[in-house]
Amino acid sequence: MSDSSMTPSMRILGGRREWSRWRRDIPWLTPLLLAAPLLLYMAVFYAIPVVSMLLRSLNDPKWSLDHYAALPSDVVFLKVLWITLSTSFIVTLATLMLAYPVALALSRARSTAPLILIVVLLPFWTSVLVRTYAWMVLLGRHGMINEALMALGIIEQPLRLLNTTLATEIAMVHILLPYMILPIANALRQIDPSLALASSGLGATPWGTFRQVTFPLSMPGVAAGMLLVFVLALGFYITPAMVGGSRDITLSMLIAQEVDQLHWGYAATLSTLLLAVALGLVAIAQLLPGVGNTFRTSK
Amino acid sequence: MGERSITTINRRRAVGLITAGLAAPFVSRWAGAQPAWPEQTAVPDILKGSGEVRIATWGGALQQAEQKAYFEPFEKLTGIKVRALPGADQAKVKAMVETGNVEWDIVQLSNGSIMNLMKSGDYFERIDYSLIDDGVGKEYRSEYGLEMLVWASVMAYRTDAFNGAAPASWADFWDVGKFPGSRALYGIGSEHPELEFALMAAGVPADKLYPLDVDKALASYEKIRKSVTKWWTTGAQPPQMLTDREVVMTTVWNGRMAALQEQGVPATICWNQGVARRDGWGVPKGAKNKANAMKFVAYSTMAIPQARFALSIPYGPVNEGSFKYIPPERMALLPSAPEIKKQLIQYDYDWWIANQDMAVAKFNKWLLA
Amino acid sequence: MKEASGRSALPMGDGCLRGASVSLSDLERSYGGVAAVAGVSLDIQSGEFLTLLGPSGSGKTTTLMMIAGFQAPSKGDIAIDGVSVVDTPPYRRNIGMVFQNYALFPHLTVAENIAFPLKQRRVPKVERARLVAEALELMHLPGYGGRYPRQLSGGQQQRVAVARALVFKPRLLLMDEPLGALDKQLRENLQLEMRRLHAELGITFIYVTHDQEEALTMSDRIVVMNDGKVAQVGRPEDLYDRPCNRFVASFIGESNFLPAVVRGLENDMVVAECGGVLLRAATSQRLAIGAEITLATRPERLRFAEQLAESDAINRIAVTVTESVFAGERCRYLLKTENGAAMVLKEVSSATVRRRDVGDRVEIAWSVADTIIV
Repeated sequence: MSDSSMTPSMRILGGRREWSRWRRDIPWLTPLLLAAPLLLYMAVFYAIPVVSMLLRSLNDPKWSLDHYAALPSDVVFLKVLWITLSTSFIVTLATLMLAYPVALALSRARSTAPLILIVVLLPFWTSVLVRTYAWMVLLGRHGMINEALMALGIIEQPLRLLNTTLATEIAMVHILLPYMILPIANALRQIDPSLALASSGLGATPWGTFRQVTFPLSMPGVAAGMLLVFVLALGFYITPAMVGGSRDITLSMLIAQEVDQLHWGYAATLSTLLLAVALGLVAIAQLLPGVGNTFRTSK
Repeated sequence: MGERSITTINRRRAVGLITAGLAAPFVSRWAGAQPAWPEQTAVPDILKGSGEVRIATWGGALQQAEQKAYFEPFEKLTGIKVRALPGADQAKVKAMVETGNVEWDIVQLSNGSIMNLMKSGDYFERIDYSLIDDGVGKEYRSEYGLEMLVWASVMAYRTDAFNGAAPASWADFWDVGKFPGSRALYGIGSEHPELEFALMAAGVPADKLYPLDVDKALASYEKIRKSVTKWWTTGAQPPQMLTDREVVMTTVWNGRMAALQEQGVPATICWNQGVARRDGWGVPKGAKNKANAMKFVAYSTMAIPQARFALSIPYGPVNEGSFKYIPPERMALLPSAPEIKKQLIQYDYDWWIANQDMAVAKFNKWLLA
Repeated sequence: MKEASGRSALPMGDGCLRGASVSLSDLERSYGGVAAVAGVSLDIQSGEFLTLLGPSGSGKTTTLMMIAGFQAPSKGDIAIDGVSVVDTPPYRRNIGMVFQNYALFPHLTVAENIAFPLKQRRVPKVERARLVAEALELMHLPGYGGRYPRQLSGGQQQRVAVARALVFKPRLLLMDEPLGALDKQLRENLQLEMRRLHAELGITFIYVTHDQEEALTMSDRIVVMNDGKVAQVGRPEDLYDRPCNRFVASFIGESNFLPAVVRGLENDMVVAECGGVLLRAATSQRLAIGAEITLATRPERLRFAEQLAESDAINRIAVTVTESVFAGERCRYLLKTENGAAMVLKEVSSATVRRRDVGDRVEIAWSVADTIIV
């Protein structure tokens, strides 16, 4: 009886000693264990699906590189890839232009910051359906913008705004703005306020201070925001379908079509390519000077 | 064999959500205006049972109609519980059967999807025709699927757009001089671009459409390209665009139009030269409640349930016996009603199964050119 | 402010520039009704090393920020060389400034940091490089130009900050607790270096600190600030020997305070009673008999009475030793007078001096000249 009751406690004691030794000898053990739940989650819900997708691009219907070999000669794919990339690029630049001043205001505001934040986050809290509807109501042939312009006598005939590439871009920018504003505002807020004072005291005009101090120091946020927005823009699907023009066909739409046609191997190939483009961009961004720190903790 | 197969109506996963949302206001309006419905009071003992049957539907208005026409009376009369699961999709059937994790006993698909899947493997159970009502026409029966509704892809236009003139054919749709204004057609993402319409517009007679001359269809499309404001991707878009006066004419799935007319939007369907298509039930291979599934398939295609369904949503019944339960004004909205059926072209599922990849590839390429 | 001087970039170390004179008149700055600086008037001489000393919240940094132009006064005027600058933005004031945390631009190298003010003044590239090299030399940092601030130690960063503030030859240098973040040893070295720079350059330094020792060591004059007001202005020894109020007496150095009542007046001398003991102090004030006053003395100026001969120039009082602490160069005694007032006495430690024990009843004495009425 006493033997059996002693054994477990001794085991625990020994286990504890061993545990501290492991912790001492393997410095990454504790962080690894802390991250374990997330790692497990990612393995089950991300890594496994991604790997199975990769496999499908290679082994559906048989093991070969045929799907990849077909890509360069698939005109539809090349065209759609180009449309997707160029749309994402334009949207990213436009988002940056609009987001930076807002981020600047957000980072400098004190009492009004929560209000600005709510306005910035509004797109997050609005369903895709409502947002899309709103754009239709605004941009339609008989929508608010056209009606207003006609009422003011600025135009005679309604402008074609809805169902154009411009409409896609406007709607995408609207949805993606928070992803650009928040990282930039965060980067701006982390800049030591005395740097701007120092710059001014050393003779830099307000514009000079922005150009030489504030903007360069916000680069990690700008890079993170651009990366985030670009990568998200690559995957857009509903917005171009609903408000876009006849040539606003994104890679995601093409993938969905291939899935529906049961061309799963080719769909997986296209998806892998989309993933590769996104990962490639992250890698390139890491190499840019001043941006490499984006995903690194500062000392 | 008279079986005609076609790929699924392209109800896409993500966009489906929007579709359901946009359709919602129309559905509730329609539900308020029901004529007296026939009631079935008994079923043959052979259809009775226990346990449950899990049915994958397309959700939204269609599922609501199915709920009242099929699910509720079926539960009451047979003792079998129905669990309706929105999100029917041929790709999911493929995945479920391949992984052995079959969560559906019945799935609503086009017979084309069923045929398509059966081309590459064994994904469906054989339908038990010993249970099926005699009133179900031969053309709706195939080995692995039983069609249970008829819908149509047709032309719709705003009645206030042309000073009383009414377009009556695809030639009129293509005639921008006579009928000025923006058009919408089914576009990218489509697995069945509307090549039939383009060919009829180019003068190909309705009975000589198949096999489709894809290049000729694209040449015909090219003529109207500049007037097409929108190449739509989801079924909710055409009625929306008609309501918003974004277009004056569009192609549309007939079920979407009835609700629009209920709302008083001055728009109507031109049945002439429309294409009749069908949806059916399939029982995925390895379905856990296969026996109950067969009983449900049999019940839902009986005359009265079919009539109830057609009264709830304007899709045509497949049972000859159903029409006697349906008032004439309702018959004017149903694609399988004799007066309308004769104006429609029957979609050639076999041609599409065989040529879909080529046709879609050419269409995509043309659209992006 | 003379715009022209801001555009000229004189090389460093080519003889003395005349420092700027600064004059603050009735300067006020309030935040939402609360005055951070309330009516400060000061005249700072050309070439002076002036320190603003005070506890946190005393308004010293706010005053400095107003001189630099980073904050606008709510009231009052700031003139540099007789010209009001309140409407001149900071980038046109041509004032060198060193921040507490150095405020070096982390994305620029040391050389780029130092070149920054020259670049703003459109100094040609070649000239810039020469001036930067000279500044690095002056601050004992040659060879560090290519490094980034984060690669330098705190002391080195501090030197870069000073080099950057001086490279464009300002005639006024402002420093906001520039040594606050450094350890004691380094701080003392840099204090000397600041003095050296001040002597070499001849420009005006305005220095902010809360460290009284630092202020006493470095300054020509000290402005003691409290609650947004100037408590006292004077040379370090004046402030130490003649604090004009209790705040200054306790903030600069340590003081013993004895409450007393005026009993007699003789010439410039006051005789006051503290718990039955008569104490003397010099005064120029006119005090009435019976007035309640506080007498202050410095702990290191107290002696145990047997060391001193009886004299009119000596105040004596009987005390009990309540605590005795040996602190290396000094012994520190906590004492209690008969009427309960606590006092501190510091004595230079020596093997020949007898240590007092807790409980010892002794007499202490100090010079009347070291007795201040506050």
